Amino acid sequence: MSNFRSALLTLLDPIERLAQAPKQLYLNFSTDFTSFDELKLENDRLKTEMLLLKAKQQQLIMMEQEVGRLRALLGTTGQVNNASFQIASVHFFSSSPLSQFITINKGRLDGVEIGQPIIDAKGIIGQVVHSTPSTARVLLITDPSHQIPVRIQRTGQRGILSGRGFDGVQLNFIPKSSEVRVGDLLESSGLDGKFPSGYPVAVVSQVVSQDSTPYLEIYANPLGELNQAQQVLILKMNPDRSALEPTSETLETPGTATTAPEDTQTQQRVEAKPKAATSATP
Amino acid sequence: MGDAFIYITSRQVRWVIMLSFVLALIVDALNLLGESYLFLPPITLLVLLYWCGHFLDQTYVSTAFVIGLLMDTLFNSTLGIHALIFVLLTFAMLRHRLHFRGYSVLQQSLNMIGFLLLYQILRLIVLAPPMNEAQQIAFWSMPLVGGVLWIFLAKGLNRLSHQKAIES
Repeated sequence: MSNFRSALLTLLDPIERLAQAPKQLYLNFSTDFTSFDELKLENDRLKTEMLLLKAKQQQLIMMEQEVGRLRALLGTTGQVNNASFQIASVHFFSSSPLSQFITINKGRLDGVEIGQPIIDAKGIIGQVVHSTPSTARVLLITDPSHQIPVRIQRTGQRGILSGRGFDGVQLNFIPKSSEVRVGDLLESSGLDGKFPSGYPVAVVSQVVSQDSTPYLEIYANPLGELNQAQQVLILKMNPDRSALEPTSETLETPGTATTAPEDTQTQQRVEAKPKAATSATP
Repeated sequence: MGDAFIYITSRQVRWVIMLSFVLALIVDALNLLGESYLFLPPITLLVLLYWCGHFLDQTYVSTAFVIGLLMDTLFNSTLGIHALIFVLLTFAMLRHRLHFRGYSVLQQSLNMIGFLLLYQILRLIVLAPPMNEAQQIAFWSMPLVGGVLWIFLAKGLNRLSHQKAIES
């Protein structure tokens, strides 16, 4: 059935592209008229941002190794955080209450598989549900049929985050005895085996306690820019790679991630977050 | 209006039919882009009911099923939901198309409001889309908008199919 839907999606691909054409034309037209000064300013801003991110990433790598060492001391297995990213552009999206999805310009020929998580700069935005040779359809976390296991970052309380249909999500199965506050960050718990653990998903916006139910009604806003994102990252977990790599390589690869993909349309596999220290010795 | 169609067969306007479906799918895809407008009817369904209601040499049931499958893919809904709804509505049109094609465009438009209302009820039962108050108003006003659009669509397709039939 999945192959049949993929065939139908392939058939519809030119229609989606034609529907997207007026917007693309407008974007190209407006980009052509962007002044040189504006581009220069943006370039400077991006360079500064890149430097800051690199500095933060180095800190993060150090902390990751420290956590690994501490976990090794405690004797726990730890979280193997070895994922590779693939950059994709959004070329069609729907935020209708009936279905909320985006279509990205990477498909089976680029190695995209059903179930792969999709993230943007701020957090998880969805997962691949159908793929064609050149495109893939991503179900957003706000779609009513989408659910993702999460935990509250502050307390570690686990729950299931479901889509509500119009740009909102709801956290289910949190007992009334739990301590949840507005502003709490919800991150993926990784219990489903599909979404990696520790990625931010949403922020709690409203907590309602009703006498008739044993659970709290918790509403949240997704962190990812579901309707604005033009570029997204397809996450691929590499379970076979568990050994600790040298620190020099760890530091080099993120540089590639930020500088190499000048043309995001080309298939550029970017290695990031290589290895937690599961086998590290203190 | 209906008399002129007796002498036109689907074969004579085959390309017009195919092109109209492609264009209707593009318009539906355009409506789906971004914040979709729930008060706009599915143009594909209107086009399907037009051809089904005006040509007696074909039933268009299989076309309805295929178009429905494409709509399912477009809307990302469970495969077969739109296909079954489209087949059901096409069957309802087949039952009284002899009357329908004899009606004036305004009468057809009133009929179309009924068809679209049935479409919305079926969609609400099967898909149960979560909607806020404004979206509910838009959702239930769709049949009325569809009725108005039918007047322009039917007149346009009438003219086009007559012209093509004369040319062929």
